[in-house]
Amino acid sequence: MVQEKCRLLSSEQVAPGHWVLRLAAPAIASFARAGQFVHVRIPTTYDPLLRRPISIMLPEARQGNLRLLTCAVGRGTRMLVETPIGTELDLLGPLGTAFPLPGGPELSEAKEVLLVAGGMGVAPLVFLADTLRGMDHHAYVRGLFGAATEDLLVSWTEFAARCDEFYVSTEDGSAGEQGRVTDTLVAQLERGQADVVYTCGPIAMMAQVAQMCHDAGVACYCSFEQRMGCGVGACLSCAVPAAGGGYVRVCRDGPVFAADRLDWEAILDDI
Amino acid sequence: MTSERPDMSVQLGSLRLRNPVMTASGTFGFGVEYAECVDLERLGAVVIKAVTVEPRIGNRPPRIAETAAGMLNAIGLQNPGVDAVIAEKLPELASYDVPIIANLAGESVAEYVQLAERLTACGYVAALELNISCPNVSHGMMFSSSPELTGELVAAVRRVTDLPLITKLSPNVTDIVPMAVAAVEAGSDALSLINTLLGMSIDVARRRPMVGNITAGLSGPAIKPVALRCVWQVYEAVQVPLIGMGGIMDSHDALQFIMAGASAVAVGTASFVNPAASVEIIGGLEQYCCDHDLCGIGSLVGVAHS
Ligand SMILES: Cc1cc2nc3c(=O)[nH]c(=O)nc-3n(C[C@H](O)[C@H](O)[C@H](O)COP(=O)(O)OP(=O)(O)OC[C@H]3O[C@@H](n4cnc5c(N)ncnc54)[C@H](O)[C@@H]3O)c2cc1C
Ligand SMILES: Cc1cc2nc3c(=O)[nH]c(=O)nc-3n(C[C@H](O)[C@H](O)[C@H](O)COP(=O)(O)O)c2cc1C
Ligand code: FES
Repeated sequence: MVQEKCRLLSSEQVAPGHWVLRLAAPAIASFARAGQFVHVRIPTTYDPLLRRPISIMLPEARQGNLRLLTCAVGRGTRMLVETPIGTELDLLGPLGTAFPLPGGPELSEAKEVLLVAGGMGVAPLVFLADTLRGMDHHAYVRGLFGAATEDLLVSWTEFAARCDEFYVSTEDGSAGEQGRVTDTLVAQLERGQADVVYTCGPIAMMAQVAQMCHDAGVACYCSFEQRMGCGVGACLSCAVPAAGGGYVRVCRDGPVFAADRLDWEAILDDI
Repeated sequence: MTSERPDMSVQLGSLRLRNPVMTASGTFGFGVEYAECVDLERLGAVVIKAVTVEPRIGNRPPRIAETAAGMLNAIGLQNPGVDAVIAEKLPELASYDVPIIANLAGESVAEYVQLAERLTACGYVAALELNISCPNVSHGMMFSSSPELTGELVAAVRRVTDLPLITKLSPNVTDIVPMAVAAVEAGSDALSLINTLLGMSIDVARRRPMVGNITAGLSGPAIKPVALRCVWQVYEAVQVPLIGMGGIMDSHDALQFIMAGASAVAVGTASFVNPAASVEIIGGLEQYCCDHDLCGIGSLVGVAHS
C-alpha cells in the first residue's frame, strides 16, 4: 500500500453517467492484483471529506497507468469525473484482497471459470479476466454480463475481449438475452462446466449468485462494497456481517470474499 | 532564526513525548494497520482503539455516514477484548519505537479498574486514556455527564495504576468544566478533549436513519470550533496538560488548539483523508517554531489567553 500522487491523464465517458479515468500511478499499477481497489481523495476540499473507494479496472503495468471505471452516483463521484485532465489525484492503494486464482492453494484444480458481472460490477472482473488470460496454463473463461439496459453494459467490449466465451443479458432485452444475469448463470451451472464463479454487482444479485453456487457446490468469490473511512483496516467502519456471527472488514478482509464467509441474510436485512 | 532545532517534546504526567502529536483513539486501529504508509516512529504517541473487558462485535452496519465537512460513526467499540489485545495486538505495535496509549471503555467502575490493572501489568502501555465518553453504546456517556461519577471512576482507577492517567471528556454535556475539574481532583494527570458530538443523519431515499445505530458521533472539520471552545474553557479551569482533538486536519489547526491551551493534540478523522496528516502536522509545528524563533513548542501553549 502506498499513498501516491497520480496525474489524471484522460477521462472518457463510456456510457450515460459512466467514465473511464486513466491515471499515472506507477507504484500502485506495479503491484495491483485483480479485485483490489484504490481509495481516492476528492481533490482540494474537505466537503466531501472522505476518500472514495474505486476498483482497479485495469492497470497498464508497463506504462504505469491505472484505469478506473467510475459511475457518477453522488457528489463525490461527480466531482471525480469532472476533475480537469492534468490534475493530481491523491490515491491510496492497492488496497484489500485480490481474487484467488486457479492453480493457487484455494483453487488448485480449477480449469473452467465463470465471471458474473452486474452493471458497474464489471470493473474488477475485467482486471480478473485480463489476469487469467495472462497466466501460463490459463483456465477457460466464460464471462456473463447483465445490466438493466444495453446502455449500462459499460465497457463490455473490454470484458468480452478477455473472455473465451461471452454472454450478455439485459432486463429490457435491448441487448443479448432478455432477463437477468442470474438466469444465464442457471443454465451455465446446470451444464456443470464451472469450477469456480467470481462475481461483482449489486448486493441482491451477488446474494443470489452466492446461493446458486452454494446449491450447485461450486466455489464462489464476490467483490463487496461498503461505506469506508480509512480503507486500511483501522477504523472498523466498513463492517459487513460474517457467517457464524461478528463482522468482517470490506477494506482489509475483503473486498473479495469467499461467498460462504458472509452472512447474506443479515446483509440483505441491512440494505 | 535560531540554528538549534526547536524542542518539540511535551510532558504528560510522568510521560515525556518527543513531540505533541498523537493519533486519536479508534481512528488509527492498533497502529500497525498504517505502518506501511506512515512512519510510526515519528509520532508522539499512538492511542489505540478502545479496549473492553470482553470482546465486542460492534454495531450493525452501516456504521458511518458522511456529513458536511465531517462524518458520523457508530462503530460500537468493536474490539477483541483486553486479553486478546494484549496477546495479539500490542506486541507488534510495541516493536516500534513509539509510546502506546491504551483507551479503556467499561460499563462499570469495576470494569475500568480491571482493564487498568491488566493494561498496567502487561508492560506495553505508556499511559491510560479513560474513554468515559463513547456516544455509541448504551451507558457510554453515563460517567462523562456526571462530575461525581467521573471523580469516582478516576479515583478508583488512580488507585490501581502508576501509569499516567488521561481522562477523555465528552462535549455532549451542558458544561464541560465541572467534569474536567472532577477528573483532575480525582487524580487525572491529563485530559483529552473532545470525543465525538452526538448526531444523526437520515437517508431520504430509504426513509431511514443513515447509520444502523441511528445516532452516531460526529467528527472532522465540522466539530473543530466546538472542540476548540472546550479546550479554551477547560484550560482556564485546570492546571494539568490538555490533549486537544476534534477536526484537526493540518498544523494550522493544531496551532489553534495549542494556543487555546492544549499541550498536545490528537489527529483522528484526518488520517482517513490523509494518512500522512499526523506526520505532516509534526513537520508544520516544527517549521512554525523555526519561523518564529521559538526554542520550543511549549511556549505557545495557551498564548491566546493572555
Ligand atoms: C471496494 C469498492 C469498490 C468500488 N468500485 C467502484 C468502481 O469501480 N466504480 C465506481 O463507480 N464505484 C465503485 N464503488 C462505489 C463507490 O465507492 C461509490 O459509488 C462512491 O463512494 C459514492 O460516492 P458519492 O460521493 O458519489 O456518493 P454519495 O452517496 O454522496 O456518498 C456518500 C458517502 O457514502 C459512501 N458511499 C456511497 N455509496 C457507496 C458504495 N456503493 N460503496 C461504498 N461507499 C459508498 C461514499 O463514499 C461517501 O462516503 C466501489 C466501492 C467499494 C467499497
Ligand atoms: C471511526 C471512529 C472511531 C472512534 N473510536 C473511538 C474510541 O474507540 N475511543 C475513543 O475514545 N474515541 C473514539 N473516537 C473519537 C476520536 O478519538 C476523536 O475524539 C474524535 O473523532 C474527534 O477527533 P477528529 O475530529 O480529529 O476525528 C472515534 C472516532 C472515529 C471517527
Ligand atoms: S474503512 Fe476503516 S476498517 Fe475498513
